Amino acid sequence: MSTYGKEFSKAFFKENPILVMALGLCPVLAVSTSAINGIAMGLATTFVLVCSSTVVSSLRSIIPSKVRIPSFIIVIASFVTIVDLAMNAYAHSMHKTLGLFIPLIVVNCVILGRSEAFASRNPILKSIVDAVGMGLAFTMTLGLLGGIREILGSGAIFGYPLLGTKYAAMLIMILPPGAFIALGVMLATFNSFQRD
Amino acid sequence: MTSTWRLVVVLGSICFAASLALSSVYDVTKEPIAYQKKLEMIRSLQAVLPGMTVDPDSGYLDMQRENGAPVRVFRSISEGKVQGAAFEVVAPDGFSGNIYIMMGVKPNGELGGIVILSHAETPGLGSPIEKEAWKGQFKGRSLENTDLRVKKDGGDIDQMTGATISPRAVTGAVRNGLEWFDKNKDQILTYEEKTS
Repeated sequence: MSTYGKEFSKAFFKENPILVMALGLCPVLAVSTSAINGIAMGLATTFVLVCSSTVVSSLRSIIPSKVRIPSFIIVIASFVTIVDLAMNAYAHSMHKTLGLFIPLIVVNCVILGRSEAFASRNPILKSIVDAVGMGLAFTMTLGLLGGIREILGSGAIFGYPLLGTKYAAMLIMILPPGAFIALGVMLATFNSFQRD
Repeated sequence: MTSTWRLVVVLGSICFAASLALSSVYDVTKEPIAYQKKLEMIRSLQAVLPGMTVDPDSGYLDMQRENGAPVRVFRSISEGKVQGAAFEVVAPDGFSGNIYIMMGVKPNGELGGIVILSHAETPGLGSPIEKEAWKGQFKGRSLENTDLRVKKDGGDIDQMTGATISPRAVTGAVRNGLEWFDKNKDQILTYEEKTS
């Protein structure tokens, strides 16, 4: 059981997909304008990650290594399309905000990376635990980044005004440069703790 | 040769399974998506023609703008008369990309209101065009009672702090829309009950 615990928790610190491996930064930078956007995007990615890791792991002995990448991409793309359609149908307003970035989950290297490096080499249960851990760590980091940018950039958190109306919002934080600045500070802080 | 066939068969069956899964998800979500789109349409029609009922599926006119662009004019019809018309206008001169606006006009040429359907203006700077505080000022305006230009250009419409381009683009599009409505008033306001 402890190995599963290790597979799960490694994603949060030692192998954090964003802060350590620096994978999948395109959606991270683009949608982290508010905490709720970050979390929604993270959960959508987690869903795709868990589903595709399960399928890839269960097919790992059947898929010849020569066509493994196209096979993974088809599996991932199918789940992304399913998320896209389901979100459009059942979470329409969220889909309007994130719509542009959902199809981009296909090329999120976290997912292909986990399929290639982990799910295609490990049994199903272990792959699911790994995927859930990675997905939640991705969601947490994305939510944290979104929260920091939302507080500084619009003085609110989850849409509730936090710093009052007198707060002069740092607009740059919700613009693209703010994404790079906030992510850079987060990376530096995180890694300075990891070094010890 | 056999190993090549294996690649083809495995990849082919993965594709086949993926397309089966996708087509069934598409089938399930098709109706909720169409319903959501319709709901969204009804919501924006009600916002631009307050107090009127508009059925987006009947009583509309397919017309053309000055530049030949097709436009669908939705009409609120009660007691055999057209009580209001709503149609989409495009502001091509926003800060980034087109701004799509739904505007509602009463038969006397007064605006019932406007709704920003989609835009890609700078968050925090140009994006407040979506807020009621700004777009609400269009209610009751007409070509006769208002100089439909932003104050910076000598008109009557408030721009907002730090952003002139987005309000100017929206105001211009709405003015053009009203002028077009005025020219085509007779056609839009004539309603013949279809004998079914």
